[in-house]
Amino acid sequence: MQPKLKSKVRGADQEIGEVIKVIVDPLSHEISDLVVSVSGTEDRQVPMCAVETVTDGLVELRMSRADFLEFAPFKREDYVTTHEVEIPHLEDHLDVTPGEVLVPFPELERNVKRRTFFTNLTHVIGLFIGLPLAFPVLKYLMKPMYSPFDNGWLKIGNVGKIKADDAGTQFKYKRKVKEAYLPEAEIEKNVWVLKATPAVLEKVYQGKDMEFRDALGKTIWTNKKDVPYIAFSGKCPHLGCGFKWRQHKVLGQVFLCPCHLSIYDASGKVLDGPAPRPLDPLPIQISASGEVQIIDMEFKAGTKSQTRIV
Amino acid sequence: MSHTPSPNTQTTIVEEIIDFIDERVGLKLLVAKMLNEPVPGGSRWAYVFGSLLLFIFIMQAITGVLLMFYYVPTADHAYASTQYILHDVDYGWFLLGYHFWGSTAMVICVFAHMSQVFLWGAYKKPRELIWLVGLALFGIVMGFGFTGYLLPWDQRAYWATTVGVEIMDKTPLIGDFLARFLKGGATPGQMTLSRFFVIHVMVLPAALMGLAGLHLFLFRSAGPAGPFRGTPEELKAKTDYFFPRQIWKDIVGMATVFACICALAFWEPVVLLDEATPDPGDYHPEPEWYFLFLFQLLRLKMFSGEFGQFVGAMLLPGAFLGLLAVLPFIDKDPERNIFKRPVALIGWVVVMAAILIFTISAIINREFLD
Repeated sequence: MQPKLKSKVRGADQEIGEVIKVIVDPLSHEISDLVVSVSGTEDRQVPMCAVETVTDGLVELRMSRADFLEFAPFKREDYVTTHEVEIPHLEDHLDVTPGEVLVPFPELERNVKRRTFFTNLTHVIGLFIGLPLAFPVLKYLMKPMYSPFDNGWLKIGNVGKIKADDAGTQFKYKRKVKEAYLPEAEIEKNVWVLKATPAVLEKVYQGKDMEFRDALGKTIWTNKKDVPYIAFSGKCPHLGCGFKWRQHKVLGQVFLCPCHLSIYDASGKVLDGPAPRPLDPLPIQISASGEVQIIDMEFKAGTKSQTRIV
Repeated sequence: MSHTPSPNTQTTIVEEIIDFIDERVGLKLLVAKMLNEPVPGGSRWAYVFGSLLLFIFIMQAITGVLLMFYYVPTADHAYASTQYILHDVDYGWFLLGYHFWGSTAMVICVFAHMSQVFLWGAYKKPRELIWLVGLALFGIVMGFGFTGYLLPWDQRAYWATTVGVEIMDKTPLIGDFLARFLKGGATPGQMTLSRFFVIHVMVLPAALMGLAGLHLFLFRSAGPAGPFRGTPEELKAKTDYFFPRQIWKDIVGMATVFACICALAFWEPVVLLDEATPDPGDYHPEPEWYFLFLFQLLRLKMFSGEFGQFVGAMLLPGAFLGLLAVLPFIDKDPERNIFKRPVALIGWVVVMAAILIFTISAIINREFLD
């Protein structure tokens, strides 16, 4: 039992005084000392180890009144009140208040029926405000997320630029984009075009023409297996960086992505690195004068199968 | 109360104003409550990181607001307006540099703060909720770094975002939606910039302020954990209040961090690369340094292919964060002394070493690319 304020304090021989303050250890939250008022002399600070028993309204000490007076007088300036210091959960551990402090319960609040009903109604009305907003907000934010594919042909240059067979040549081009209400803008993109020898062509096409279909399955274009020009999308199928045609110490001339070091041969096959699939060939056509045209497509990176996103 | 002025001293105008407010809102009691928090075992330099993070955040908010006076979040003006801040606006280079290096300081202090709490075993009962909210704050800090990186709209920004969003695309079930949602389309563009901007300057600051407030409230509710060694008597003998000794250490830490960030802003000014385009040119894309280890991890052969990539980019980081989240609930041993928690100590050393090794190897790899 914890000593209470105003409890009488009795020594081994006689009455001493009463508990006027309680001192608490800030770390353990235990009562460490009592401050006892004594008639005719200064208040004394008594450690809890000097307390024999605590009963309701009475604290009995181990020593006589004379020995008790040997304790040092209480020094108020060595302490702060619990109001002035942040000690969490102190009240949970202490029971020293002499009694409850009360305020009247308002007349209108007494015997209110359906308190739970009102609580639930508040939540329901809250949901009525929030729920109808969820879908419009979601649709509002989703507006630009999905757009149809553009299957127009883009002129990107002339094959005269290609100097060697089975070697990647970068063709840069500009693509017009129109986002939301903004004026049409141009972004720079690039593809890698290859004049392939029959061996490399065979690796890319594996003896079959390559068909490109739209979302409905209608054929947009077919890359004939005997046309020696191949265009690879400039986006690395690993995580979407831009790869380069580079000299590799061991593997010779390869496509290398500087991001995560995926390496592809001239046919786009993965030679090394983390890429999950070969480079993505694009629809390509070459005019009689050697002008190269492609359909600009982008595929989702990081997947084994091709998923067109642009 | 102990601070009542003696009657013969003349009160100054400042004291009168303070008394006026105090009478109405209990200011002095509030200040006393804030400052008089017993720190078990006394103040320590190891405890400064939480306060440093608050300080860094406030400075990021101030410099961020200042940058918005000139910055324009559109694909055709973001780059030019950032260059304008860097080269034409008086002290623009300093404010942008401070904001840039401030983000680095933030990440370093987050790592230090989390390490301190982990090594001191301060995440254990009854402080599990502080740890969980702290993890959410860690996520927000990383989100700040990721979204802020795009805003200058240079090549570095564009490619870090491209790869980062492709990684999010690998989230199971919602990946494609999430990636399109963040990009505002299939590829990065104006919608991406708008989204990252509003997330960076509105959504994340609001989330951080709310959660940081909750973090502090929970911290004050549980009280500081104190050192992991020492008998109750020793702790009691060394206990002091938050003010003045801990605040003194905190303010020295803040001044040091401030000086370091200023020095970096001065000697390592921010230099933009070319304006963002989907053609990287000669630029070798790379994320900010604190994501480098993850970047290097994804280069490993073991994380190749669709599944390997999922393991490296999603499963591994996800499992690690998940482990951190459940840590206080599976580690129920009340022992807090790190030298008596060998698994925790070895785990921390291994994680730190792995991050260090992968970061360094990413830096070494740079040479072989040029």
